[in-house]
Amino acid sequence: MRHAPTIIVLALLFLLPVVVLILQAGAPGWRFPELWPELTFDGLRFLAARPGPFLTALASSLGYSLATVAVTLAMTILPAQVLAFQTFPGKNLLEGLLLLPALVPAMTFSMGLHFIFLKIGLADTTPGVILVLSMISYPYMLRALTTGYTLMGREYAVCARNLGASKRRVFLEVELPQLLPAMAAGASVVFLVAFSEYFLVFLIGGGSVASFTGYLFPLITSSNRGLGALITLIFLAVPIVLFIVLELGLYRFHRKRWMR
Amino acid sequence: MKRGIIHGLLPLLLPYCALFCTGLALTLAQSLGLFLPLGSGEAGIEHYQTLVQDQGIRQSLGLSLSVAFFSAAGSVLGGTVLALALWRMPPGLRRVGVVSKVGLILPHVAVAFLVLLLLSRTGLVSSVLFQTGIISSPEEFPNLLHTGSGLGMILAFLLKGVPFALLLIGAVLFGFDIRLIQTARMLGAGSVRTFWSVTLPRLLPAMHSAFIILFLYAFGSFDIPFVLGESHPGMLSIRVFDIFFQRDLSQRPQAMAILTLMFVFAAVFAMLYNRFAAYLDGWRRKL
Repeated sequence: MRHAPTIIVLALLFLLPVVVLILQAGAPGWRFPELWPELTFDGLRFLAARPGPFLTALASSLGYSLATVAVTLAMTILPAQVLAFQTFPGKNLLEGLLLLPALVPAMTFSMGLHFIFLKIGLADTTPGVILVLSMISYPYMLRALTTGYTLMGREYAVCARNLGASKRRVFLEVELPQLLPAMAAGASVVFLVAFSEYFLVFLIGGGSVASFTGYLFPLITSSNRGLGALITLIFLAVPIVLFIVLELGLYRFHRKRWMR
Repeated sequence: MKRGIIHGLLPLLLPYCALFCTGLALTLAQSLGLFLPLGSGEAGIEHYQTLVQDQGIRQSLGLSLSVAFFSAAGSVLGGTVLALALWRMPPGLRRVGVVSKVGLILPHVAVAFLVLLLLSRTGLVSSVLFQTGIISSPEEFPNLLHTGSGLGMILAFLLKGVPFALLLIGAVLFGFDIRLIQTARMLGAGSVRTFWSVTLPRLLPAMHSAFIILFLYAFGSFDIPFVLGESHPGMLSIRVFDIFFQRDLSQRPQAMAILTLMFVFAAVFAMLYNRFAAYLDGWRRKL
């Protein structure tokens, strides 16, 4: 039982908040100084009665987050290969520069970009939001894919090429299956970054792009804590469900292909 | 060969220049008084001069730096301790660490909300103290979230940062070659010595990257300060937001000047910190 303290700390840090959220969601009227909430389900009833804005926000957030994953993947798949396999002068500097968008405060470039987006009509649109979210999140995908390529090595690809496979075929049948775990790791992080971003969607989307965080925000700053807690719980559940689906999908894919 | 490299990098370099670099360039230009929504005037650095003289900005900078430092240092420390504790567990039990993913998944807005729920004067901890008779009214509960030191924000950042540091450091630790430690122990090193000379040096790179990422994120972040922040002095990001959205357009260059300085600080910090960490590492190896 010498591991009990660790487990207690983990539970206090990460499980207690979930329990508090569940109780708060079940009892919107729970406030000082009651210790045990009286359970009602007003929050759920409210959502069931007026699901429109909530579902729009959820669908919009899911949509632009998944699109961001796709865009970052398209942006980084070739460059990751170059960075993993080639050496050229200035490579270290370039890698450092390419990490900057995830390191420097997103505000610093997005506020200037907002002005440009206003001029070219991308402000207040979903594509604009997707572009700016891709910019802050692609470094995670790039890192994951570069590591994936490095671990894979180029022997398999060279071998397949020697045996006469076309470049396309090498990519689709040799490299892609081996890269899938790295892609899944990068995609999970990119999805989370995009899905939980509040400020950039608010800035570039300008209120006309609905978002889950934007739906949640007024609830938690106002007094509607019960509904806020309920939405937060759904917020927790959506990525978990997606990750489980992703894991199962990968597992079945590999079993089918007799790998692992 | 050379052309192949450039072609391969193009899908990333094009959007990088079009979005990131032009965005930055416009922030810089507007800070100098150019390309403003109401047309540009003379370029000049007067907005930087007002910033340097502004007492309030200095306080905001101090708050941003201290919140960023304490939340990042605390997260790295907490993440390392948790990773080591999990590492000592039998592999089956180690899976309990998965609950820390809750902190990773919850968005910053929601984590700030949790801090409000638990620690505000009418929050859960206050209720518990009231019920147990330790305090007799919510006013007796210390006003943790409005001390001017950003304590509430630091706690919220910790809840996000500890699992992040745990993830990075755990990834190194759980793949660690146990034979290194066995060898050290066989050669007579005590457990403290083994930790300082064998385990820790191998964790340091992950700890450094976690620190840089968390420090810079907290330094420039908006979501948590927006929910939990106090109005005075206010984090730099909140000050930028206020100037940008709530004052008239003539003030905009000042917001952009703050942003430009924040960018320069973040980029220089990341570079210097990397150099410094590499230098320490080389120095350690020489010994």
